[in-house]
Amino acid sequence: MNHIGIVILPLLVASIVAWGMWQRVAVYEVFVEGAKEGFEIGVRIIPYLVAILFAIGMFRASGAMDFIFGFIGPVLEWFGFPRELLPMAITRPLTGSGSLGVLADMVNTYGEDALVVKMAATLFGSTETTLYVLAVYFGAVSVRRTRYAIQVGLMADAAGAIAAVIFCNLLFT
Amino acid sequence: MNYLWGGLILISIVFAIGSDLHDLYADTYENDRVYQLQLSDAQSQMRNGESIELVLTGSDTSLSGQYKTDNKRSQLVILYSDSLPALWQARFAGDKDKTLALSITQAENGSFKATLPSIVWPRLEKMMQAAFDMADFAAKLAIGLIGLMALWLGLMQIAEESGLVSKLVKVVRPVLKPLFPEVPPDHPAMGAISLNLAANMLGLGNAATPLGIKAMQHLQELNDHRESASNSMCMFLALNTSSVQLLPPVTVIALLGVGAGGLFVSIFLATLCSTIVAIIAARWYAARSVAT
Repeated sequence: MNHIGIVILPLLVASIVAWGMWQRVAVYEVFVEGAKEGFEIGVRIIPYLVAILFAIGMFRASGAMDFIFGFIGPVLEWFGFPRELLPMAITRPLTGSGSLGVLADMVNTYGEDALVVKMAATLFGSTETTLYVLAVYFGAVSVRRTRYAIQVGLMADAAGAIAAVIFCNLLFT
Repeated sequence: MNYLWGGLILISIVFAIGSDLHDLYADTYENDRVYQLQLSDAQSQMRNGESIELVLTGSDTSLSGQYKTDNKRSQLVILYSDSLPALWQARFAGDKDKTLALSITQAENGSFKATLPSIVWPRLEKMMQAAFDMADFAAKLAIGLIGLMALWLGLMQIAEESGLVSKLVKVVRPVLKPLFPEVPPDHPAMGAISLNLAANMLGLGNAATPLGIKAMQHLQELNDHRESASNSMCMFLALNTSSVQLLPPVTVIALLGVGAGGLFVSIFLATLCSTIVAIIAARWYAARSVAT
């Protein structure tokens, strides 16, 4: 599907530059001017990323997650939310590579045609690594008080997880 | 955010200590257990620095390792192997390149007594290691973003100065205006927001992040409290974290062997739901913060 991406990117780059030249913008100078910020932003987001990723790393390694799965798994199952999907639902907002690992693991354990795997893949595709996005975006503008952004992001993740279960049940059974 | 962050750290430490105490109390790793070993070939000589082969008495598990001895103690240094008992494998803590040093003493009738190095606080150790590793990784990740960021920010600057962005804004304004009531319709923030959302929809992840950062910078220009997120920022983040995608990362998923065809529909529908919930939630919080 990313064939489209392969075509779009060069076209996008070319058309931006071409339009700039058409409008008699000093394209090279303006590009360098804008690109300068890249370094500054990269450095500025470091403390925010360290804060988030280090906490997530500790949480993952501490075994707390397995305990939580054992605890709320049965409760969620009662509502029709498969227990096997829980690791995915919890890792997805925390880490991108981690949740990809969970997905690969599930494909190995349950096989690629299993309903839970389809649900997990749907979940993976439909939400973002909320905490990472938050750290990068707010870090880039040095905003420390994030107000309600985190709640909204997590609510969206929960909605995505529930929707993944419902639609996969409708579509694949 | 403060509670979530602090909570993550505190919960982790409490669980790690709890699980380690439980292991200590239940003696999960049988730290003081003594194993009986015998030479697999009774004729072989035990010399310092040479490799020998031993058998775990009462089983057919054989161990080969390097024998090291001085006046005080003798050790057998072994490598990881899948035939080792589970309790022994646990000593490697997942690192199969490590070596394990058993301390062995000679007993009568040519057999040996071996004890494993004790495992204390394994969780805590692993957790702190993970914390350090992640801090290291975070900095590398940020540094690694710099090149791409510079590229897209440069292109973005051309697009802004050549008037391309303001043309785009005219097109998407009707859709975005209700979501960002605090952003003046002709402000460049609108342009950056729409470019970021477009990149997201097309699944162009590495273009989306720099464009999103650009949008955040423009939103920051409109922000009265520089340390604190504005309603527009929260709405923008909500749209981003719920990831409005028309071309979801099916390639990644297909790589794992999951049939991507049907997933296309389910991912699209789930994404739609999470985005709608995100928009509603962001609006609700924004309205509530005005009221109080």
